[in-house]
Amino acid sequence: MTTPRSKENHTLFLLTVGLLAWLIPGAGHLLINQKKHAIVIFVTIVLTFCAGLYVGSIGVINPVGAKPWYVAQIMNSPIVAALGYVATTGDYSVFGRPNEIGQIYTSITGLLNLLCIVNAVYLAHLRKTETAGD
Amino acid sequence: MSITDAFVMATFTTPEKIGANPQSMLWLLPLVAAIAIVYKATKLPEIKAANFLKEVVILFGSIVVFMSITALVLCAFAWLITE
Repeated sequence: MTTPRSKENHTLFLLTVGLLAWLIPGAGHLLINQKKHAIVIFVTIVLTFCAGLYVGSIGVINPVGAKPWYVAQIMNSPIVAALGYVATTGDYSVFGRPNEIGQIYTSITGLLNLLCIVNAVYLAHLRKTETAGD
Repeated sequence: MSITDAFVMATFTTPEKIGANPQSMLWLLPLVAAIAIVYKATKLPEIKAANFLKEVVILFGSIVVFMSITALVLCAFAWLITE
């Protein structure tokens, strides 16, 4: 009777790792005791995302006019949704090269964070499997 | 709101002036560096400064060289068609 319960706990743990990794870039790796990885991921993703916002302003987060980009940007963190709301309610229109660079930067960081989420969940799963194997 | 706060807000609410010129392509370099760093952080089982830096530099160089070669080939292709 203990096996199904531990399996449930394991699934819950994997979900927590994935959710935390999405909430704060690098937090998933922190949860599985990979402190250095977490710091490197957090600093790089946050700096690159901020660089994108600096170049193109928060107007590059456009949930209405640039949905495909927004899907990638939201992978950074749920905070992007709040920024998207602010951007659509205010007048933050941006065009041309700053818009392109800002969108590319913020979207690529979102996809990089997705890679980190998947990696953190995979490593968490792998550790459990290895522990069970021992 | 203090002047510092207003200044920080302004930097993120007004876009920078970047022209559509060849120099603007240099903006890809910080992005490539970020990609190389995050990718290697997910791939290496343990991060040690020297080894991590070496791996990141190799990946960064590979991406830049491959993109440069692709750009040259596309330029040559476009030149051949338009000539």
